Amino acid sequence: MSIEQQYRTRAKELLSAGEVKMVIGYGAGTTAERRRPIFITSPDETERLVLDSACIANLSGYLVTEGLLSDEKRVAVFLRPEGIRALNVLAAEAQLDPLQVVIIGFDLPKGELKSLQGSSVDDFTDLLGALKESTPDVDGRELLEKIEKMSPEERFAFWQEEFSKCIKCYACRQACPMCYCRRCIVDSNQPQWVNTSSHTLGNFEWNIVRAFHLSGRCVECGNCDRACPVNIPLRLINRKMAQEVLDSFNHFAGTSKTQEPVLASFKKDDSETFIL
Amino acid sequence: MTKILFTDKLDSCVERWRSAGMTVIGPVQRANSSVYDAVKSASELDLNLVLTDRSIKELFFPQSEPMLRYAITKAEINTDEFLPPSGPRIIFGARACDASGLAIDDPLFGWDYKDEYWFQRRNESVIVTIACTKADEFCMCTSLKLSPDSTKGSDILLRPLENNKGWQVEELTDRGREAFKSVADLLQEGSDPAAATVTVPEKFNADACAEWLKNPENFESRFWKEISARCIGCGSCTYLCPTCHCFDIQDEGGSFEGIRRKNWDSCSFALFTMHTSGHNPRSTQSARWRQRIMHKFNYFPGKFSANSCSGCGRCTRECPVDMGITETLQEISKLSQ
Amino acid sequence: MSEPFEPKITAFVCTYCTYAGADLAGTSRLKYAPNVRIIRLPCTGRISPMFILKALQKGADGILISGCHPGDCHFTHGNYHARRRWMVFRALLSFTGIPEERIKYSWISAAEGLKFADLINNITEDIRKLGPFDQYHKLIEETQAQASL
Repeated sequence: MSIEQQYRTRAKELLSAGEVKMVIGYGAGTTAERRRPIFITSPDETERLVLDSACIANLSGYLVTEGLLSDEKRVAVFLRPEGIRALNVLAAEAQLDPLQVVIIGFDLPKGELKSLQGSSVDDFTDLLGALKESTPDVDGRELLEKIEKMSPEERFAFWQEEFSKCIKCYACRQACPMCYCRRCIVDSNQPQWVNTSSHTLGNFEWNIVRAFHLSGRCVECGNCDRACPVNIPLRLINRKMAQEVLDSFNHFAGTSKTQEPVLASFKKDDSETFIL
Repeated sequence: MTKILFTDKLDSCVERWRSAGMTVIGPVQRANSSVYDAVKSASELDLNLVLTDRSIKELFFPQSEPMLRYAITKAEINTDEFLPPSGPRIIFGARACDASGLAIDDPLFGWDYKDEYWFQRRNESVIVTIACTKADEFCMCTSLKLSPDSTKGSDILLRPLENNKGWQVEELTDRGREAFKSVADLLQEGSDPAAATVTVPEKFNADACAEWLKNPENFESRFWKEISARCIGCGSCTYLCPTCHCFDIQDEGGSFEGIRRKNWDSCSFALFTMHTSGHNPRSTQSARWRQRIMHKFNYFPGKFSANSCSGCGRCTRECPVDMGITETLQEISKLSQ
Repeated sequence: MSEPFEPKITAFVCTYCTYAGADLAGTSRLKYAPNVRIIRLPCTGRISPMFILKALQKGADGILISGCHPGDCHFTHGNYHARRRWMVFRALLSFTGIPEERIKYSWISAAEGLKFADLINNITEDIRKLGPFDQYHKLIEETQAQASL
């Protein structure tokens, strides 16, 4: 039986047994290459579920939909390792109870579909631990290295060109499972910290704020990068910041459901070479 | 015999228009994204795209436009108005859906107050549309009673030649004729046949959808929740849309001095309808999506007798969760049968 | 002849240590560069990265952030939290092309009036050498101008 068929059966069993009230998975999209999030609540609908190498989006963000988990019933969700990490971060930040989430895990190493054993976040601890030690596979590593070698002026010019395209549709924010704030800093106007207009200055500010709020929390699922309608390479900023917290604080976001958020904790001997 | 503009003459045309003081604008690539932007030569133009990522509307209705500068002292309040940049422009290589989108929005920007930011730019722009010989699976102009060679909103329509060496020139308006008079010697009379325009299949029945939307019983239909369950509430569909026109006026700066700006806003955002009290009359994403569809295919046609959609398909093309007007109206077409 | 460049520097300081240190510099009649505008906050833990962005938005050429030495925080660990945040924010700014040299961090206690005066003189000179933050100022100017098309 294909993994897809196995998982359909599993989803069907979970729903029929009443173990979960909903399965969040992937369905066929507008074109042959596209998949879209679907929400299955009846065992008869599980045949609509699709699982293949095009199922890239991280669906964990839907778990914090207002009211979804407030009835204490359980929900099953298709997650890749990044999605499981996101779930851990959400749990660590007290946004949901991970026991209410049944994980239907899969991975896509080199585009090859692979099933993951386990159903609760704790079942994946070893897998996520190993992930921390591995070298991440980043699309655009060469560009990242090129940016790092630039002078500050060149880097500024590079991002100025990228950010000047931003239309502030906030697709990056909305697609991100970590951006769950009920009121985003850019939507608050007393005080208005950053410009909400989408001139280049305002875009610069927005993108810096977004990246900072995700530092140490981002699991690099790539949702923001794929969502951006004007193709700003957001993954590069996220990669840079993930590397920074790993190097400085040995922190890899989302390894456990009780992980301390890196910017809400400290060590007395944290490095401070830059402080005069 | 028709007038023909050969591709190898385009650069001279651009030069001619530019030396006559016109800003030449067209589809270009900018850092991995395609937009309409000013060009210095024809070589910058990317005329092979099905459609630019971003729509033509931002040439007339920029995402952030300064309106006035204010300075308040104890003695007085000073304001300085900003006007849009003036001067003739030629937009070469628009698509029929984009040009139609502008025509759709004209009555909106002029029905009571005449928006000078919009109309100054409209009056100073010549729109040269190139009929489409290719489309992608998201194009849906024909479902909106438009076509790949619609003339709505255009001043000139160019039909690509079969041999791909140029375009047949159809002059549609006086403004278009005027702009092409200056390059008349660069055009040639010829009988080269035009390539066939692309066939865009009809995806839904807009009239049937309109009837369904007008029925008050359908306002609270479960359909809205189901169709928009996966909507994440970003504004990419509205911001890329050539006809979405909502804006917000913001004072940027302090209490005593700053700049008042007209910024794009989107009905997809929760903040769009949020009251000061915290109450939100459109409290769910499904209510916001319903508003978008109702506005485009029910309220807007009720007031201006045209759908507020030209079928470019950008909403679906760029949607992070594969939603869009096409799917919604296809489903409504099914419901209305 | 245009005026020689005088850098604008915004300093965000905690009230218990660095502000008291600045106060001591003043009462000790120490002379230091007048280029710094001091903003007093309860603790370095209160210094949000938003403040840095705001200062840049308002045209600062340089920024100083300063508080109690580790272990001396009036609130016991506000400065430890702040230190982590700066570490990360600094890397982020640098990656986006906002030079690290324009944003300085220091620990100055209530007893270090002399250190405060010296530091202000030194960073003023440093920023003067870097010159105005033209790249950022251009973005600010753009916001004051007519739309481009």
